[in-house]
Amino acid sequence: MPVIELQDVSRLYGFGDATTLALDEVNLTIEKGEFVAVMGPSGCGKSTLMNIIGLLDHPSHGSYKLYDRYVDRLRPSQAAKARRDTIGFIFQSFNLLPKLTVLENVALPLVYKGIKPVKRLKLASNMLERVGMQNREYFFPSQLSGGQVQCAAIARALVNDPNLLIADEPTGNLDSAGSRLVMELMSELHKMGNTIIFVTHNPELTRYATRVVYMRDGTIVHDEKKSLGEVAQTARRMMYTLPVASEEDDLAGVSTLMKALPAKPTKSRQKAAKKTTTKGTKTTRRKARR
Amino acid sequence: MNAHRGHFKSALTTIRANRGRSFLTMFGVIVGVASVVTVVGIGEGVKHQLSKQIDQLGKNVLTIRPASLNGQQAGQSLTTLGSYVASGSLSEDDVHQVATAKNVQVSVPLSIVAGTPQGDNSYKNGPVLATTSNLPKVLSQSMAYGGFFANDDVNQDVAVLGQTAAEQLFNQDVPLGRSFTFRGQQFVVSGVFNQFAAAPFSNDIDFNKAIFIPDSAASQLVSTSPPLYEILAKVDNQNSLNTTATDITKRLLKTHGNQQDFSVLKPSQSLAASTAIFNTFTELIVGVAAISLFVGGIGIMNVMLVSVTERMHEIGVRKAVGATNRQILHQFIIEAATLSVLGAFIGIIVSLIIDVVLWITTSLSPVISWQIMILATVVAVFSGIIFGSFPAMRAARKDPIEALRSE
Repeated sequence: MPVIELQDVSRLYGFGDATTLALDEVNLTIEKGEFVAVMGPSGCGKSTLMNIIGLLDHPSHGSYKLYDRYVDRLRPSQAAKARRDTIGFIFQSFNLLPKLTVLENVALPLVYKGIKPVKRLKLASNMLERVGMQNREYFFPSQLSGGQVQCAAIARALVNDPNLLIADEPTGNLDSAGSRLVMELMSELHKMGNTIIFVTHNPELTRYATRVVYMRDGTIVHDEKKSLGEVAQTARRMMYTLPVASEEDDLAGVSTLMKALPAKPTKSRQKAAKKTTTKGTKTTRRKARR
Repeated sequence: MNAHRGHFKSALTTIRANRGRSFLTMFGVIVGVASVVTVVGIGEGVKHQLSKQIDQLGKNVLTIRPASLNGQQAGQSLTTLGSYVASGSLSEDDVHQVATAKNVQVSVPLSIVAGTPQGDNSYKNGPVLATTSNLPKVLSQSMAYGGFFANDDVNQDVAVLGQTAAEQLFNQDVPLGRSFTFRGQQFVVSGVFNQFAAAPFSNDIDFNKAIFIPDSAASQLVSTSPPLYEILAKVDNQNSLNTTATDITKRLLKTHGNQQDFSVLKPSQSLAASTAIFNTFTELIVGVAAISLFVGGIGIMNVMLVSVTERMHEIGVRKAVGATNRQILHQFIIEAATLSVLGAFIGIIVSLIIDVVLWITTSLSPVISWQIMILATVVAVFSGIIFGSFPAMRAARKDPIEALRSE
């Protein structure tokens, strides 16, 4: 049974002349236990895709089945409960509450589940131990390194046992040591049977994934299954041509990669182009969101 | 319920983190609650003092005053002492009529003699009252020093002072044997009263400030007989108060040509007159305080709106980890309610401080009633909840992704 089934999912922003198309009839099926890396240049709709999969946003068109249940038209409270119970979301900017301790932050999803204070702090403490942060429980997020904060954020995402982890550029704000820490942790969670989807700009990190999806202009242009521990074929093609030192280089690398990919204007692309021209909309794509 | 406790805790954290802003928010509530509790406390205190003042006159003493003072109308017509006496409608004959009325044991006339007594200082703060030696029988009040003038003293130039008068005339507490000049005549102090219970806002003369002289001595000082301030009549027992009052009224009406230019007051009535005036005053202040609570509520709404906008990102994070709209709504309502409860609490403390200061510095003795504290708190909490719900609803309805994007 697939965990995620997206069928012709589109997402439009704005209306009238200012309409922009962030996702253009995306079809994606993700099976249980997959570790998917999503790559693509800024503004290609990766984050929108993550938000829709994570039920933070809803598609304008198309259908979304999560665990065999249609979730594209959920009411806000139902979506909130689904987020709470079935999905763990990890952000690029961590999004821990700065006024709460790490322990309280991790326990936050349990607050909304209505679990008693003592029990939820205990559960949160166990979870922090699992991510190797047991001695940082009473620190505030501002007192930790980026990698540690992201580990705490992962603990928060996991505290409700969601099985599905969605990470929108989890290593985007981290140095290489922090990135390694976070990726090792995610890879461990994957080995325990969790389904993980993450966005990255760094081809090197595809090493951890079992599947790599490339996006451009709101559509999936390439989808490649690979074995663990290897850099994806397409990603490898430019890995040795460009030194990867900073995130900016990463971005440049991905752009080069995209040029290297076979340009394949699919039917849906043409349709979308027609759609936008007939409406007289600008072709500007949504700006990249952090 | 557990989530609510968490909300309460996070509300306290937020309030602590924004101390200055939270205090300004609470200020309206603090002022409102403090003024309501203080004013009602003062009002209760005054009523208490008034009833004590009535008590010292004795429960079976009728007061006959010039000018008509209807019990019900007393509140509306703020009659001053001056107009009572100026009307001068009571005469020596009336004193005789009262003395011979049914069930009257003793009756005592009190008349005001104009003039300024000159002791160590000249004394202008209180009246000189001419009376008979029977006054102590009507008042349930003991002497601090010396004694009241007796029957055989009445022709002599002796005087008895209230405590305030004694202090201000001679700069000493026990001026027995000292003398003062009044209208060219020397008076020797023969006694000083104990402290009378005096109520503020009362129409009656404060006996602490009065100087009592025998009426025969007074009549030698002035050519015409001085205007009567009141006649006190002690009745056999409390049950016959009503019949005696009607009897006196009937007798006086006859001598006054059926003109009701006097009033016969039972103890309860003279209380009613003063409390009615004071109640009007209290209602006014409570009204002002209610407006202040309303304004305080709007202050809470304003700050909560700012808080919601400022914390939009936090709302986004909370929603992303699974908070429903309802849970966000509750969180913000609880925060507003916490603000107003804290405001009410501080307001009560402020009013307690004001009460203590008033107790020490003035003659007021405010009564602290827990009922009004609870009422003020409940009203404050309700205003917090009502004015907090609008910003809370705005927070709750926000789209999670929109909320997350705002920094």
